[in-house]
Amino acid sequence: MGSGIWSTDVYDAADRYRRRTGRSAFSYSDSGARTVHPALDPRDATRESRDSAEHPQSTPIAVLFDVTGSMGHVPRVLQRKLPQLLGLLQRQGYARDPQVMFGAIGDATCDRVPLQIGQFESDNRMDDDLGRIVLEGGGGGQMMESYELALHFMARHTVTDSWTKRGRRGYLFVIGDELAYPRLKAREVARLIGGAPVEDLPIRQVVDEVTARWDTYYLLPAGSHYAGNRKVLDFWRGLLGQNAVELDDLDAVCETIALTVGLGEQAIDLNAGLDDLDRAGSTATRTVSRALAGLGGGRRAVAALPFTPTDDGGSGVTRL
Amino acid sequence: MNHVMVVDLGYGDAGKGTVVDALCATRPVHTVVRFNGGAQAAHNVVLRDGRAHTFAQFGAGTFRPGVRTHLARHVVVDPLALAAEADHLASVGVPDALDRLTVDSEALLATPYHRAANRARETARGADRHGSCGLGVGEAVAYGLAHPDEAPRVADCHEPAVLRRRLTALRDRLTAELGPLDAPPVADCLPAFAAFADRVAIVDRSWLAGALRAGTCVFEGAQGVLLDEWHGFHPYTTWSTTTFANAETLLAEAGMAGTAQRLGVLRVTTTRHGPGPLVTEDPALPFSDPRNPANPWQGGFRFGHFDAVAHRYALEVAGGVDGLALTHLDLAGPHLRMCRRYADGLDRIVPGPPGDLARQEALTGRLMLARPVLESVPGGWVAAVEGALGAPVLLTSRGPTVEEKEGPLVNAFCIGRAPA
Repeated sequence: MGSGIWSTDVYDAADRYRRRTGRSAFSYSDSGARTVHPALDPRDATRESRDSAEHPQSTPIAVLFDVTGSMGHVPRVLQRKLPQLLGLLQRQGYARDPQVMFGAIGDATCDRVPLQIGQFESDNRMDDDLGRIVLEGGGGGQMMESYELALHFMARHTVTDSWTKRGRRGYLFVIGDELAYPRLKAREVARLIGGAPVEDLPIRQVVDEVTARWDTYYLLPAGSHYAGNRKVLDFWRGLLGQNAVELDDLDAVCETIALTVGLGEQAIDLNAGLDDLDRAGSTATRTVSRALAGLGGGRRAVAALPFTPTDDGGSGVTRL
Repeated sequence: MNHVMVVDLGYGDAGKGTVVDALCATRPVHTVVRFNGGAQAAHNVVLRDGRAHTFAQFGAGTFRPGVRTHLARHVVVDPLALAAEADHLASVGVPDALDRLTVDSEALLATPYHRAANRARETARGADRHGSCGLGVGEAVAYGLAHPDEAPRVADCHEPAVLRRRLTALRDRLTAELGPLDAPPVADCLPAFAAFADRVAIVDRSWLAGALRAGTCVFEGAQGVLLDEWHGFHPYTTWSTTTFANAETLLAEAGMAGTAQRLGVLRVTTTRHGPGPLVTEDPALPFSDPRNPANPWQGGFRFGHFDAVAHRYALEVAGGVDGLALTHLDLAGPHLRMCRRYADGLDRIVPGPPGDLARQEALTGRLMLARPVLESVPGGWVAAVEGALGAPVLLTSRGPTVEEKEGPLVNAFCIGRAPA
């Protein structure tokens, strides 16, 4: 039989945790890394969400968040909350075979690591990507981050079986509190992403491209620097309509994403989803309810096709 | 996935820690899953360079980079001791142990009130001590059974109001029963539990299924089967199911029932820390265990000859194994003998139905009086243990480090490794 040799002093314990709080939650970043981790480097990369024997109907879900100074503690809260996302989706059956990808958005004009994009994972490996994200300390001060680069990557450098085989869009959640730059700059794309040359594009066109293949949501959390600032919300409402969502409690982000996916997959309606949250003892019900009220049920019609139906995929368009 | 479950077929202290470390050092292991016990576990791991850690709540694979620990819901979680353990790990070169930890939100918490009550009760027992470690693990389990809806759980650390209410109710009940407890006020405890929740990834049940799909997992048992709450020798038992049962339950929930290799760990000398039956005990054996010092709660560490009767019983109540790990072969010498039967003729202890504590207590009475028949082991210990228990020895150990281990469970993975 064992023996407890580790001190159990309550006063010590609080201090010990505080000393270690967050400091190494992002262990790659906190170890002093200031370049993108190879696993998250978007340069010449394509990210894939594929079906497999174990996951025959993959549902891709990408979660990209702002990691600059203005978002302060946000990534660390997400780091604590998001690993539960997969469990929430699977347990409630909101989506078939969810595959989750994490990424991070910075500012290409002044950050060392403006774009970090992980892999789609259907298991706990997604936590590993979270741990590899570099948190930028800075932030532009001009209320803009390079969201357009991330949206461009999602539009042109991702491949999903969900889309190619079934004509179903994936889910893209961007969590941030600033504006995008008005134009995608070809120079930045060449430097950070590579691939086929692009010309400068207006943000509107980038958004049109990405929303053709991804149901794209912008979550603007409370507690971040510009939250409540109408200019940011209006900017994203202008681009994404009701899919620009204010979130008055960051702790509810995990549940918000899960319910949004559940609504989009038509696995639940909002009331059923909120009941699920209640039953699970979630404290986020009110926040989620407020945030998603505008979404009602369901998303825009699926697939204005340019996708190639495959032999085994039937018609591809599985529902409206 | 080549999942492995490791349990101790004795009274604990057989070397589960070094076996788990060896498994993690010789193959890519995703997560070590703790599935019983709590902070009273003491799994010693020593590295070749001399660094050592007594693993209590972290998995014994934590020295190996990237290997995670998951505390399943059957574990009693002690956030205070966990913080201290993480600090010690940092001091021996493992700064990210907390980053690699996940804790099931349903797990019970061990609190200063449980600990104080545990000590108060054990002190009151005087000479009839049960061998408790004084950390409140059993107390937490007992309270959880008596008040399932009010017992403080890991998830409550995220809910200060709930935790305050539950800690207060706990403290009030225990002080009503035992008098004033030597424990800090509730308000002083809350920040420590909140800090734990802020720092550690608290996950739900479904997390483990993901880990089991993501890579090889090692289920690390605590204590030993002979201390099992239902099959051990009552009342000298632990408040914990120490067999493979919890691990099998967790596997089954993930849809992988029966897929893990079952490994039983035995030490060539049967030992016991704390009171209770140890039929083969022999104070003349020239052994000492510096890592198991005498303590006020368990007394001195006791050594005996290899008790094949007791270990066969453990094997039977655990439902059999795929293989054995035999440790401390460096202690095997002419003085160390094997007991295949007791002097009263008993050579098989027949398992009873789980939970028949009166039967187990009667058994304990008989074992307290039993005398061993000791035989020398001329042909070598591996063959003798395989013969006595009818299971293959897959790993042998002559010392604490992985380099001192041999057998199919480590060799296959060590080929080609550069000698460090």
